[in-house]
Amino acid sequence: MSWCWFALLDAPAEDATAQAAIVGGGWLAAWQRRAKPVRNARRIDARIIDPVGEAAVVSLVLPPKGVRLPFDDLAVQQARRAVLAGPPTDAVSTLLRDASHFEGAITVMRDRIVDDPFARIFPARLLRVEAGLFGRMPPPCGPTIERYGSAQPWPWDRYELS
Amino acid sequence: MRLEISEPADRDRSYRDVNTFDNFALADHAGNERRLSDLAAGDPVILQFFRGWWCPKEQAFFRKLVALQDEAEVAYCRIISVSVDRPEVSAAFRAGVGAHWTFLSDPDRQVQERLGLRETTDTVNHPYVPAVFTLFPDLRVHRSYNGYWFWGRPTLDELRQDMRHITREIRADWEAPTP
Repeated sequence: MSWCWFALLDAPAEDATAQAAIVGGGWLAAWQRRAKPVRNARRIDARIIDPVGEAAVVSLVLPPKGVRLPFDDLAVQQARRAVLAGPPTDAVSTLLRDASHFEGAITVMRDRIVDDPFARIFPARLLRVEAGLFGRMPPPCGPTIERYGSAQPWPWDRYELS
Repeated sequence: MRLEISEPADRDRSYRDVNTFDNFALADHAGNERRLSDLAAGDPVILQFFRGWWCPKEQAFFRKLVALQDEAEVAYCRIISVSVDRPEVSAAFRAGVGAHWTFLSDPDRQVQERLGLRETTDTVNHPYVPAVFTLFPDLRVHRSYNGYWFWGRPTLDELRQDMRHITREIRADWEAPTP
């Protein structure tokens, strides 16, 4: 699968494919299945998830309650450009709830903390996350900033799988 | 595998339909090993070999490629630039020119040797001979451009035409689906 479900939780999930505690409280979890596991789950690029991944610092960007922004908004386009132009991170994915809106982003870092271009769109939280959820994925080849189908979170980079 | 590139006077005798690129692996500008087929994924590719950041012809050509970026970023194609520079040098050059695509580094010149793309007239830097290949996603060569002399390099319109040709070949829905 090119994407899986991802959510921020108060307590660990019983049925998650992978999950990890946030230092200071809360959990992040991912599910590799079609059915939506929890109400606030969003789609994420499946390559970012690794059940044996090391602990990481993540920048989690989520829209404020009630705010919706089109994925094709110029600000979101520019953030994707800035990701390609900037220093590489361990992994990055936008978050989706439907085919047309930008519902946040997550950036995984380990060796160094870098600027998160998506943090200029919505507020970002810098979280220390335990091992067991996030892996490393190769940076996008570039220069494509478009999604490969509106159901796919950027930077998923091909049409073959869905 | 050795690739011969078209001479300017023999431009149309390109290597389309006969040559497929070796699926080489090199470090990208961030130091990650990347394989050509993984970078291409399912898209058309502009594969550029260049001398190095120091060459004025390369600087001029990169300005053209960066100008194409506005279109390429929404057109589902890949651009890959290869040189003998180390990753940190490639990263600095990439940032300086404003390129948002992958730069590959071949400081040991192993891939250069396999491809036969060393510029033999430069006995100081031993760089790649400037060349551009437009590739199908399966790494077949559509057209090749010999950039030893600057005018042998593709114009942006030639690259657009190549990308159009390859895209038309590989996208089953090139003709917009009808109800």
